[in-house]
Amino acid sequence: MSRLLVILRLARRDLRRRPGEAAMLVVIVAAATAALTLGLVLQGTTAHPYQATRDATSGPDALVTDFPAGSGSAASPAALKLTVPLARAQGVIGHSGPFPVAFPVLTVDGHADAVLAEGRSSAPVAVDQPELTEGSWVRPGAVVIERSFADAFGIRAGDRIKLNGRPFAVTGVAVTAAFPVNGVGFLEGSSQWPNPGLIWTTTADAESLATSQYPLGYVLDLKLANPAAAENFADRFDQGGYTDNTGGRYVIPWQLISHQDSLLMAHEQKILLVGSWLLALLATGSLAIVVGGRMAEQNRRVGLLKAVGGTPALVAGVLLAEYLALAVIAGAAGLLVGRLTAPLLTNPGAGLLGTAGAPRLTPPVITLVIGVAVAVATLASYIPALRAARISTVDALADAARPPRRHARLTAYSTRLPVPLLLATRLAARRPRRLLLGSVSIAVTVSGIVAVLFAHATLAISQSAGPAVTANPGLADVGFISQTARENQVLLTITVMLVALAAVNVTFITWATVQDSRHATALTRALGATAGQLTAGLSAAQLLPASAGALAGIAGGYGLFTAANQGASASQPPAWWLITALLGTLIAVAGLTAVPARLAARLPIAATLQGDGT
Amino acid sequence: MQQEAVLAMLAKEPARAYQLRARLDDALGPLGEGLNAGHVYVTLSRLERAGLVMVEEPGAAPAGSDIKLYSLTPAGQERVFQWLSELNWPKPDLAEFHLKLIAAAAAGLADPVGIVSAQRRELLHRLHDAQQAAMGESADSDASLLLEGVVLRLQADLRWLEACQRTWASRRNDHRKGER
Amino acid sequence: MTNSALVQARSLRKDYGRGDGLVRAVDGVDLDIVSGERVAVMGPSGCGKSTLLHLLGGLDRSSGGELWFHGRRIGQLSERALAEMRRKEVGFVFQTFHLMDELTAQENVELPALLAEVPPRAARRRARDLLERVGLADRAGHLPSALSGGQRQRVAIARALVNEPVLVLADEPTGNLDSAATLDILRIFESLHATGQTLVIVTHDERIGATADRLIYMQDGTFTDETTLVGGTRRSLSTLIELEDSTGE
Repeated sequence: MSRLLVILRLARRDLRRRPGEAAMLVVIVAAATAALTLGLVLQGTTAHPYQATRDATSGPDALVTDFPAGSGSAASPAALKLTVPLARAQGVIGHSGPFPVAFPVLTVDGHADAVLAEGRSSAPVAVDQPELTEGSWVRPGAVVIERSFADAFGIRAGDRIKLNGRPFAVTGVAVTAAFPVNGVGFLEGSSQWPNPGLIWTTTADAESLATSQYPLGYVLDLKLANPAAAENFADRFDQGGYTDNTGGRYVIPWQLISHQDSLLMAHEQKILLVGSWLLALLATGSLAIVVGGRMAEQNRRVGLLKAVGGTPALVAGVLLAEYLALAVIAGAAGLLVGRLTAPLLTNPGAGLLGTAGAPRLTPPVITLVIGVAVAVATLASYIPALRAARISTVDALADAARPPRRHARLTAYSTRLPVPLLLATRLAARRPRRLLLGSVSIAVTVSGIVAVLFAHATLAISQSAGPAVTANPGLADVGFISQTARENQVLLTITVMLVALAAVNVTFITWATVQDSRHATALTRALGATAGQLTAGLSAAQLLPASAGALAGIAGGYGLFTAANQGASASQPPAWWLITALLGTLIAVAGLTAVPARLAARLPIAATLQGDGT
Repeated sequence: MQQEAVLAMLAKEPARAYQLRARLDDALGPLGEGLNAGHVYVTLSRLERAGLVMVEEPGAAPAGSDIKLYSLTPAGQERVFQWLSELNWPKPDLAEFHLKLIAAAAAGLADPVGIVSAQRRELLHRLHDAQQAAMGESADSDASLLLEGVVLRLQADLRWLEACQRTWASRRNDHRKGER
Repeated sequence: MTNSALVQARSLRKDYGRGDGLVRAVDGVDLDIVSGERVAVMGPSGCGKSTLLHLLGGLDRSSGGELWFHGRRIGQLSERALAEMRRKEVGFVFQTFHLMDELTAQENVELPALLAEVPPRAARRRARDLLERVGLADRAGHLPSALSGGQRQRVAIARALVNEPVLVLADEPTGNLDSAATLDILRIFESLHATGQTLVIVTHDERIGATADRLIYMQDGTFTDETTLVGGTRRSLSTLIELEDSTGE
């Protein structure tokens, strides 16, 4: 027990002596675990949110729609006569409606789109009662907007809109399972408005919104005895097939709506999946840096512990205690950050409740993340502890374990470069593995950014194109306003996270490089290099591999996007986007490295030389 | 010392005075510059009188001549063996200086610190000269080894003088404090 | 200010810490060094002699007093100007050599020349010449780990000379060396002195200090004593050894 106390006391004293380094480690491990958490949570977005919405709203098993075939031809009372009896057809155990549907043009804040305005009573119905996520239900002069549509147009409860030029209030926002999130190839409209949205109004308001060009249609929601057989039911009563776009009556089974939803979700899921892998990659890189970096410093620490009488076991215990403490703190922080940022990404199906990423930190996720943090701590302390058992105290103190690498040809070549580049080359060559890690970090980040740019470009181009129901819709087929906005948001959030993690990586690598080369820096200044030359050299030592990484990232990003898009059509982003991304990355790296470089280059020379890099 | 050294040089084979001087010069290097021919002759005469050496060819040449060939007598040989196995070592003669400082302080005749400073200066000059000589010698010459010894002894003496300086200076300060 | 004074210090001061923890490492030093002079500063450890050397070489800034080097006031020089001074006018030799482990002897020596933007080939030639001068021509391609302490220090001296500085500063140059290596270093300094190089050597070893033209003692940040060791009548060396017999006849 007393051994344990000694270990803890030594560990605490050791940590207190180097608060900066401890803080740096916590930051990078926290960032890595946050990314890891995010990745894991995103990957867990398998739950199908459609089911939750269906349950909450008593979604219909089959939807019967009766829409005007074209302008001017009203839904004939005869057609209505055909529709209504379906409510009592064989297999139907419940129904609501038929509800009148008008097709006004909604304008708000300069945007305009056609909508289906479904007329409802203020009393709730048995089948398909939309679930309010905001505000209250319809009343005369006030409408409720479907949530994904509201998101796309930025409409909130309390806003004012115009329908066919007439002012209406928005009293609420709701979700429903009777309308796919963006109506892909489901509800036809005129070619001018390929993607109508959905709103609910009072019955009277809906009827008043009918025009001669677009007279009323009707919608009937059915509950079946055998929901699983809804497709058969639909086939029985809809000879035209619900994929036929010629108007008239359609019977749509819930499975089709669900399928359409999942198609949309599939895109988001793909983006999230790719994003999560990128984040995990970067996180792994960060952790590798933590484990592999600062070995020299750890050796000296080992030497000091041995010099005060520590056995190898004691030394191992102290190191492990230190790293574990840091890792647990960092892991918890990372979990928290991941938990807080996950909602930014995982609210894709805005039109659906209980969406895929209601981010839950399930016990498996927590265990895995903390486990990884602990594993990193163990690994980081195991290697120097092993060395402690082997080498003598004197050697450890003298830090004889890992001298910098020598590259004869590179050194000879560097003599021809101007001074800052000479310093940069030699500094970078001292630790080639760290150089590689830094380069790879940038490459991964830029890959992510470039893939996002490709995705964005493809989405933008396809926005004007009409929808097409294909067997395997690519991003080009998903060109709806709300979908685009949502996907752009997801892409942006992932990009921001990648960039943040990469920034942490670069900062840590720079800091580690600066620490390692403190003696060499001081000596070079003693021999006559100016602080400015050394700042430039330290910065360039990071910038050169970052440039290589960035260039590789462009190719990698293109490959990543192509693979994720699975061969569907894609469009290229404008060249200046890519150039901006490239230059932006380099400028960011230069900025991140400049500050620690400058600080290092201005340390007092004599003190550093005599301290010999402690 | 010189007597025994000369004796030992004759142990291998008889030699003439000038040869002995040459060997001594070699061994002592620049430190032997105070040694002149006269010293060697005087030493040889003494040794002859003491019966430790003898002249090989008496009467062949006038006395004091360079050409006389000297050799060891049996007594001389024994003295050489004895000398080689002696463990005498020159005592450091610090007592005199030590007493000098104490006497000066006690009688109030001079400031011990000043005496030490002056002595230090003298030794520094000697050390300076010794180092100059040492640098002029090649690394493996006999004389360089001797010079190394001289240098080290001077260094040791200087360190002791520094200690004397510290001690006597602090005594002086205490004394002054006491006076106030 | 005499014309031939290369270095001049007046009331030079260097403080560390503040308040109770204030340490006056150099506490009011006056110093004049003439071109071509070889000066040694001796004192116990902690007396401030290394700090003084750092101030003279521009490795550190003084806390007070004036320092002139080569006619310029050092206290007012910018960081960049100081760096240039260190590069071209001052050569520093450290006790622990401070060679770059991953560079060969030659690459170590040529480094200050490269920093001074000497063309690479010229720098390499200078380095080779200097290594020959210190007797290490055959070890030019060796790493420091393959060299003995004395050899490493000789490389360090060569490096200090590569830009032909007007002033060479040596901080305990033989502190880590044995007697034979010490003598080698002293010989090199002797040859430097013979070519008119100005030298300031800090040491705690009397054997080194006594080789100087002028030996200054330092204690607690100030000079306590000064001895001029050249330009006097030369003593006979034989006074150094005892040749006479104890019993004269």
